[in-house]
Amino acid sequence: MLKTIQRFFTSVKAAIVLLILLIAASILGTLIPQGRSSQDYLARYGQLGGVFEKLQLTRLYQSFWYIAILALFSLNIIICTLARLSAKLRRAFRPKCDIDPKSIQALKVTDKIKMTQPRTRAAELLKVELGRRHYRIREHAGEKKSCLLARKKVLGIFGSDVVHLGLLIILVGGIVSGLWGVRGSLALLENQTLPVPRADFSIRLDKFITEFYPSGSVKDWKSELTIIEGGKPVLQKSVEVNHPLSYRGFVFYQSGYGSDWENPELQVWLKKKSDPAYLRTVWLRVGQPTPVEGEDITLTAARFLPDFVLDEKNEPSTRSLELKNPAAFIRGERSGVEVFSGWIFAKFPDFSQMHQAPESELKPELKDIKAPQYSVLQTAKDPGVTVIWVGCAALMLGLFLAFYWPTREIRFVLEESQNRTDLTAGGLSAKAREAFQSEFNGIMSALRKTI
Amino acid sequence: MSESNVFTLTFILYIGSALLYLAYLYSKREKLAKAGSVVALSGFLLHTLALILRTTQSGHAPFTNMYESLSFLAWATVLAYLVIEWKFKVRKPGAYLLLIVVALMSLASSPLMPKDATPLVPALQSYWLWLHVSVTLLGEAFFAIAFVTSLMYLRAESRERKGQVPKSSLTAERLDSISYRSISVGFPLFTLGGLVFGMVWAYKAWGSYWSWDPKEVWSLITWFVFALYLHTRIVMGWKGRRSAAIAIIGFLAALFTYFGVNYLLAGLHSYA
Repeated sequence: MLKTIQRFFTSVKAAIVLLILLIAASILGTLIPQGRSSQDYLARYGQLGGVFEKLQLTRLYQSFWYIAILALFSLNIIICTLARLSAKLRRAFRPKCDIDPKSIQALKVTDKIKMTQPRTRAAELLKVELGRRHYRIREHAGEKKSCLLARKKVLGIFGSDVVHLGLLIILVGGIVSGLWGVRGSLALLENQTLPVPRADFSIRLDKFITEFYPSGSVKDWKSELTIIEGGKPVLQKSVEVNHPLSYRGFVFYQSGYGSDWENPELQVWLKKKSDPAYLRTVWLRVGQPTPVEGEDITLTAARFLPDFVLDEKNEPSTRSLELKNPAAFIRGERSGVEVFSGWIFAKFPDFSQMHQAPESELKPELKDIKAPQYSVLQTAKDPGVTVIWVGCAALMLGLFLAFYWPTREIRFVLEESQNRTDLTAGGLSAKAREAFQSEFNGIMSALRKTI
Repeated sequence: MSESNVFTLTFILYIGSALLYLAYLYSKREKLAKAGSVVALSGFLLHTLALILRTTQSGHAPFTNMYESLSFLAWATVLAYLVIEWKFKVRKPGAYLLLIVVALMSLASSPLMPKDATPLVPALQSYWLWLHVSVTLLGEAFFAIAFVTSLMYLRAESRERKGQVPKSSLTAERLDSISYRSISVGFPLFTLGGLVFGMVWAYKAWGSYWSWDPKEVWSLITWFVFALYLHTRIVMGWKGRRSAAIAIIGFLAALFTYFGVNYLLAGLHSYA
């Protein structure tokens, strides 16, 4: 029983079964959204959501059983490849030279010539023709018979092994990434320096630029960065999407941007109800009392919310970090006494509920908001990446060898009889049989011309 | 001449070529097939011009939205077919292949596909866009050839099994071998463009070479299906009907990776 199981897992049939399992499991993982929250699954699938989570279908590609299939698959690749490898190595590096003309005639492409030259001369002529076609020759001369083995592109027989090796290296790279890869994200304001997590250096954002197309859509985000090590700047580079910065195994990617709504600059217009021509413009920073030109009052923006909403407790809060419904709480004071205060809304200038002292007729409006932009950088240190690229190179080299480097092999037996030579030839090629056939025929007709 | 005029002219030539190949299928007159090839080739040359015009006008690779990439896939399919026709001296698959090309071109010119050349979003501004998309789609074009010759194989094989003598040199066995040869071109191209270049670009743009995004997973599934095709064929000696079925499934998986994932599954590959 155990033997049968063992034999199965070391067979190509198992590889087929495992491939089908991998296909089915991978499809399942694209049908169930991966890595969402429990509430999300509950809303989507009801009771079933919990079952899916227990079966790890919600993080399927990291699940125990998916990795188990991959592990079995790797094991199967190793065993199947090794099982064939020793025979292939023998065939490539210690080939047998067959002396029996009958075994040669069993090959795919065969021919026979009676040559008029003696055996050594015939062999020489043959070698010239083979050499012209870049064949490598092994010769075994017996007393009456000699045998010649001509081959080229011998490495082609290892194509599939190199492909399998590449795949295994890629899987190893994946494991290295999973175990030792570090990722994180940093949000940096201009001129801000932050230590890079798990590294002994810091990074400073010198400048953050958003470039636009004439149509208004974003063309690029650029962050000018400085790496600071031991208090000293050691490297300066500009990072943009698709052009990351690498330093000591860490790579920094431009991944996004945002606005710092904690520290906005607000432009507030002051109008007077009795005087339509009256207008004062003030720039406010949150929490900083600012005097108004020509008036004896100071304005303070006590709070700013980018997306104003009243929460469950009827308290002002923000729904998102986008400028959807910007609002500011403004207070006007005259020598320490509040004249007016209340929320003003940029999108709804007429909707404001001001607590006002009776004599005041000033009306503030929120006209413009500027916030410092921060740049979001992805950081990654992934020692698996190099391994992955090596695996990919092996994979492609193997595919090339397997499909486009077909091994060609021709065996010749030369038998001497009365100073003449009977030549028997037989050849085989893994692929491109028609091209091989015509090459084979070319060699034979060239030899016939010497008769 | 504007790009859309050249595109329309190309479309008309492809329709003409498809009709000529179809007429050849029914009349068996070799001349019609030759005319079909010539018209397809001139369509292909004009299509190349359209792609060049598109590139110079938009300033970026001609496959950044669905219209462009459908047009490019049609171009690659014609290229792959002309190579196979020249290499194997067979013209019968032309009718079906050109019908697929006409279908791709119709989809591309349907009003559902926005045709404006929009400026490139930051994530797509990379020379890896050229390498990744063009090589992958060329690989998929060869899968399309194998799809057609596998379907033709199934029909030819069932006829031959009933004892009918094949009417031309295009026997079931030859169709089977053309399918295999197409896949042996398509598979390395798809591996290089879809998986390897895809991983390199993902690493450069997103900082991780593999994210199990639905499009990545589906290209892996496609790759697994063709790996299955090759192993059952080379190691286990499967040929004929079962091989043809796997090749057909493989192309459908490639088609879903290319098309279905965008409309049915959400993920990182939101552009095309």
